[in-house]
Amino acid sequence: MNRRNALKNLGLFTGGVLLFPSCDFSDEKVGIILNKLKINAKQESLLTSIVDTIIPEDNTPGGISAKCHNFVWACIDDCTSPEDQKKFIEGLNEFNTKTNDSFDQKNMEERTKIVDSSFSDENKNIQNFLNSVKGLSVWCYTKSEHFLTVEMPYKLVPGAGTYNTCKTIDPNQKINSNA
Amino acid sequence: MPNFNIDNTTKNTFDAIVIGSGMSGGWAAKEFTEKGLKTLVLERGKSVEHIKDYPTTNMQPWELKHGGQLNYDLKKNNPIAASCYNLREDSQHFFTMDDEQPYIQEKPFEWIRAYQTGGKSLLWARQTQRMGDLDFEGPVRDNFAVDWPIRYKDIAPWYSHVEKFIGISGEYDNLDILPDGEFLKSMGLNCTEEHFRDVVAKKYGGKRHVIYGRCAHITENKEIFTKQGRMLCQQRDLCRRGCPFGGYFSANSSTLPWAQKTGNLTLQNNAVVHSIIYDDKKEKATGVLVIDAITKETTEYYAPVIFVNASALGSNLILLNSKSKRFPNGLGNDNGLLGKYIAFHNYNASINAEYEGNLDKTTEGRRPTSAYLPRFRNVHKQETDFLRGYASGFSASRQIHQNSNGIGSSLKENLTNPGYGNWRVGAHMMGETIPKEESQVRLDSEKTDKYGIPQLRINIDYDENDRKMMKDYLEQFTEMFEAAGFTNIKTNSNYRAPGNDIHEMGGIRMGKDPKTSLLDKWNRLHNCKNVYVTDGACMTTTATQNPSLMFMALAARAANHAIDESKKG
Repeated sequence: MNRRNALKNLGLFTGGVLLFPSCDFSDEKVGIILNKLKINAKQESLLTSIVDTIIPEDNTPGGISAKCHNFVWACIDDCTSPEDQKKFIEGLNEFNTKTNDSFDQKNMEERTKIVDSSFSDENKNIQNFLNSVKGLSVWCYTKSEHFLTVEMPYKLVPGAGTYNTCKTIDPNQKINSNA
Repeated sequence: MPNFNIDNTTKNTFDAIVIGSGMSGGWAAKEFTEKGLKTLVLERGKSVEHIKDYPTTNMQPWELKHGGQLNYDLKKNNPIAASCYNLREDSQHFFTMDDEQPYIQEKPFEWIRAYQTGGKSLLWARQTQRMGDLDFEGPVRDNFAVDWPIRYKDIAPWYSHVEKFIGISGEYDNLDILPDGEFLKSMGLNCTEEHFRDVVAKKYGGKRHVIYGRCAHITENKEIFTKQGRMLCQQRDLCRRGCPFGGYFSANSSTLPWAQKTGNLTLQNNAVVHSIIYDDKKEKATGVLVIDAITKETTEYYAPVIFVNASALGSNLILLNSKSKRFPNGLGNDNGLLGKYIAFHNYNASINAEYEGNLDKTTEGRRPTSAYLPRFRNVHKQETDFLRGYASGFSASRQIHQNSNGIGSSLKENLTNPGYGNWRVGAHMMGETIPKEESQVRLDSEKTDKYGIPQLRINIDYDENDRKMMKDYLEQFTEMFEAAGFTNIKTNSNYRAPGNDIHEMGGIRMGKDPKTSLLDKWNRLHNCKNVYVTDGACMTTTATQNPSLMFMALAARAANHAIDESKKG
């Protein structure tokens, strides 16, 4: 009986622990589910703003439409070393401090100015962080559905006999890297 | 209970057992089942059915969660598998992870494994060049290894037999160093590759050849392909995902479903072969001892003929572990040479450069092959300070530079306006290596894998001949590149461990003499004639050609020999 009671208690205790994260003590919920990184809603929204600044939604869909903010998190979370992850989060936090915890409240013009100048920030962490975000955002955007169907169409199935061994370049034609 | 055992024995008895369902095992299975033999194919890995089990094959680039990048932990935990160029986010499920089968590297050796239905035939680079008599006669002329027990005329009809079925895109080049085959139309060399071809032909008086690399892709409709349910290569260049069109040859799309249709095939997955059972009284092998990878239960299967197609080192491991009173050191191993004289292809040098010509030209579309230079060193006589020589891949493509300057709307604009750069050209070496007694695998006396099978100790390394050949390769290609007007030439060497070429061969070599070889001219063990080895393990020498085509031709030839023998009773 003792054993059974102990198991019962353990069960209740475990249940309590499981419930704990859903009792929302933090300011806001983090939207993205990550495997390793522990981030808060503030960090998530800051990165979203930076991605939006680098590849904005103007007259065509941008980085947010392509979910590039999630792509950046997924790549950092799954494909980089713990050391690089640490540096990335440091860079993000230091960028936040530098912008007085208010980057995402600024308008696009101000944000663009800040990000642009921060690529040469004296703080190496900030520089590296922004270069990572830009590199991954560009990677994501140029592989996005919009880019690969509208901007530079990519064919998953080009078809038999479609390799052209020698095409004379028309200088007036836009280059499609995916053709 | 006795009845149960008899039933079980009957249930587990077949006309032929094939260990391994990949490149060569698939061919043995096809030949056997077509001729009416009830055939059991034992595959140690998971089931991969054509199309159904290609989970990434129709994914668009934006559907890959990490854009193609590999998981950090996967790379860290699998340094061997991750060393393979073809292991990516969209193909990782076709690779065997390192902990499945640990082994001991006495010298660095990257043993790339892909245990599943179809094996590495899903992942191969699909280059299919024939070996010729200048290769088969090499050991006698240059006094290394042992003489091949066959010549080109013995294997040529079987090359044709295989090529007509799998489909080879190629050009008739009429070269003594590289016999022609049964070709479907070519996808072509591009204009910069043709430029290189013309320069090389002129500079070396027609003694060096830049040709179209023959490859296992269907480029013409034929009834034989339709019957297999395969179609024209759609030039997706995503072969590593498995091809839903069957545009390139894999056992999954071709030989295995063909064998299945006969009704004579039993394909058993998760069947890890422990050893081959030898009957001292009958003086032959009677069956195979199998461990179920999931339940770890052992089962015996029986057949009068056993084909070993478990991959070069896998087959060595099985024979070494097949110990009996008659063969205490491994099946057929009277001479102590089992596991020895292993060789590979030396891929340890490459060169790249730029070309500032043809600037008004580019290519369009994707092509799943490249140009190829057959061996031009020591072809008809010894002329360098190293033995044998190398073939080379070669390819050219127009560079397109992405413009990722700035941020914001200007960055987006820049990204849609890339610019042409120079042509980029590159070549990689495929060197013949010399099989040596010290290049060997053996069983560790203590360590085992999770199935209790001894771990393999691998002792294979580059040697002085390889280093001289690498030096010569880079010198010769620098000379050829300079002659072609290529600039910014960069050479690379010493960046790959043996094994990473995925062309390991030998250990159970063919030969004329039972004292110096393990297999006869029909790929049978000299001392146990109902066991055949027709994968990379059987290779007496490596030549310079991509070897899968040879394994398939030898498997088909040996299977038909076994069928003929069984008719004799």
